[in-house]
Amino acid sequence: MGEPLGKILVPVKRVIDYNVKVRVKADGSGVDLANVKMSMNPFDEIAVEEAIRLKEAGKAEKVIAVSIGVKQAQETLRTALAMGADRAILVVASEDVHEDIEPLAVAKILKAVIDEEQPGLVIAGKQAIDNDMNATGQMLAALTGYAQATFANKLEIEGDAAVVTREVDGGLQTIKVSLPAIVTADLRLNEPRYASLPNIMKAKKKPLDEKTPADYGVDPAPRLQVIKTSEPETRQAGEMVGSVDELIAKLKEKGIV
Amino acid sequence: MAHDGQDRTLADEAILPGLTGLTAAALDPAGAILETARTRVRDQVIDGDRVSAALVEARQTATHGLAWLATYVESLRQMQGWAERLEAEGCFGEVEQLLLQIAFGEYLWQIYGGIQMNQGEVVRLQDLGLSQDEMRDLMTPEVTTLCERGNTQEARLRLVALMQERSAETTVGRTGLGEELDMIRDQFRRYAADRIEPHAHDWHLKDELIPMEVIEELSEMGVFGLTIPEEYGGLGMPKASMCVVSEELSRGYIGVGSLGTRSEIAAELVLAGGTDDQKAHWLPRLASGEVLPTAVFTEPNTGSDLGSLRTKARKDDNGDWILNGNKTWITHAARTHVMTVLARSVEGTDNYKGLSMFLAEKTPGTDEKPFVDPGISGGEIEVLGYRGMKEYTVNFDDFRVKGGNLLGQEEGHGFKQLMETFESARIQTAARAIGVGQSALDVSMRYAQDRKQFGKPLIAFPRVASKLAMMAVELMVARQLTYHSASEKDAGRRCDLEAGMAKLLGARVAWAAADNGLQIHGGNGFALEYTISRILCDARILNIFEGAAEIQAQVIARRLLG
Repeated sequence: MGEPLGKILVPVKRVIDYNVKVRVKADGSGVDLANVKMSMNPFDEIAVEEAIRLKEAGKAEKVIAVSIGVKQAQETLRTALAMGADRAILVVASEDVHEDIEPLAVAKILKAVIDEEQPGLVIAGKQAIDNDMNATGQMLAALTGYAQATFANKLEIEGDAAVVTREVDGGLQTIKVSLPAIVTADLRLNEPRYASLPNIMKAKKKPLDEKTPADYGVDPAPRLQVIKTSEPETRQAGEMVGSVDELIAKLKEKGIV
Repeated sequence: MAHDGQDRTLADEAILPGLTGLTAAALDPAGAILETARTRVRDQVIDGDRVSAALVEARQTATHGLAWLATYVESLRQMQGWAERLEAEGCFGEVEQLLLQIAFGEYLWQIYGGIQMNQGEVVRLQDLGLSQDEMRDLMTPEVTTLCERGNTQEARLRLVALMQERSAETTVGRTGLGEELDMIRDQFRRYAADRIEPHAHDWHLKDELIPMEVIEELSEMGVFGLTIPEEYGGLGMPKASMCVVSEELSRGYIGVGSLGTRSEIAAELVLAGGTDDQKAHWLPRLASGEVLPTAVFTEPNTGSDLGSLRTKARKDDNGDWILNGNKTWITHAARTHVMTVLARSVEGTDNYKGLSMFLAEKTPGTDEKPFVDPGISGGEIEVLGYRGMKEYTVNFDDFRVKGGNLLGQEEGHGFKQLMETFESARIQTAARAIGVGQSALDVSMRYAQDRKQFGKPLIAFPRVASKLAMMAVELMVARQLTYHSASEKDAGRRCDLEAGMAKLLGARVAWAAADNGLQIHGGNGFALEYTISRILCDARILNIFEGAAEIQAQVIARRLLG
């Protein structure tokens, strides 16, 4: 095995498609996901792309996609396989499309998958666009004790380390982390490819293992309680004023100045 | 109706109870009307005990009307089949139910009252020779219910409300083609939305050739070898995949949708008529996109009547073929590598029996210098729409074709070889029509939501919403008819009838969508800068090429009348 990384593990999440106009359920318990288009989390797509590029560059041997959620996440994994992942693991942790598996449970399951698969690198999306938690990658690093490099905008493998340029407030930061490591992908890491027809054809023949959290000894029951989900407040209409004096008067009236 | 129903919950009232039972029960009376019509029309065109070609032509209103009637009945059958398959899978949702109901309501009423062959010509059952009593046989209680309560404003508005809610969906309603084809659709939709749509209008306005970069991308994605067998370097996928890819690429731009899957038709010509050597040579090159083909059949005085072509091919002393004559309407003539040329090689013939097919190699030219080889010249024909590959006249003046490049190494088989590709070409054209129609719906939907008049978005006006609803309904009808002909083709069954119907209906649907889409845009749609102005121009070709609507109806009628 000449490739330094061996396997790359890429967790992917099935989320509400970014084109969907999200609607809150009438009872405020969450957003409506019935009859709604679902897709792979866009940041995860970037993660899959990066892993495939590393494999194509001869830096890794295999790309394994893993998804934790409902059975329908199979479709998301097929997309990852069609893009070029070699095999997939589906951990069915819920029957209900409205149940979101929390980052800690996901991280624990991923930790167990890592123990089994021993990947040289994990590339995850920096966050899922459904609840924007931005936590799984970090929690996974804590659980495994691996180095972490979040918000990657560039990733290079140098011997037994990864050089990662991170998007941080106010600019870019480059760090070197030893492998194995957890890297989370930011928007500008790459532009994911379109799955070609031959690869879509091949995808259905690639192995997709189905597991349960129990197989990994993890209880995915929620620890967090959602109190209320509501629509963002709509923007109030503006008001035209005739002069600066009038503006100041209005602002005083509203107690702003 | 005095009230517009705003106070009621539209969802509860829009869908008829027991819908799929009603629609299933409507198929028999519709089929019976078609049988009666076929008998009545046959009576009009029979001479002795044979159908007379001259009478089929002389009675075109009746015979073409029969073709349209059969197309409508087949549409309903395919919609019913689609609905029942989705129902069995547990995914016949509200959108799909509305599509089915409106389609049945509208098409049954049109069968009874008059079918629009186009906006100016409506054909009625009386034109086919049916009596009032015979017509009334259609109106069973189920058909009456569907006619009266199928295509209502409530149903259309509910459909459009759902379309707005689910605007992220790639199609309005599930197509029923399965997971793999859905994934292919999503990938090509994304590709077209990212890489084609943002540039298509500019290519059109500047009358530019589609960039080679796009052709390379299509090649990488495997588009050119889609249905070519694997042993010849293709992917060996079903025709339904060609439909999905043609649809989604044409939704981006008809030129791109055409370019991709035209190679397939050329490949089919070689596959059906070529020698083993010709297959081994040409098919892998077509499949990879390394060789781009163009079809060279039409002549200035010969369009639909191909049998009377005059371009001549004669053999010289070396065994090569020398072509002389004038061709026209040659799409993408400049940049392609091989021409499939239909020419007369058998001396003393004046019909299709003297025609042979040649795989004439040429050097690709550029926009500035389209033709570079000796013995070939030509010029661009400026066109309204369907740009991106450009149309040319091509003149052969002692143009040399290698002796080995007579298709099948058989003279006089050209017309028959070409005919074997008609089914696939029509299926592909039907899919292109669906793509163009869908793009009209896409842009009109956005415009109707964004544009505000009288204090509300255009889509809030029922006449605007109804146009959008009918586009969605008819696109699904055209889809099901097209997918059906594709699956017949894959099963190895003759499907010229089904493919012809899909093309005939698809072209009308696309034109209606483009025209109504432009209407929604109002004056802005008439401005060249708006996308819909291009879509209208692009949609116009669909009723003309690959068998004009009238030819298509004639061919369907001939098959129906036996």
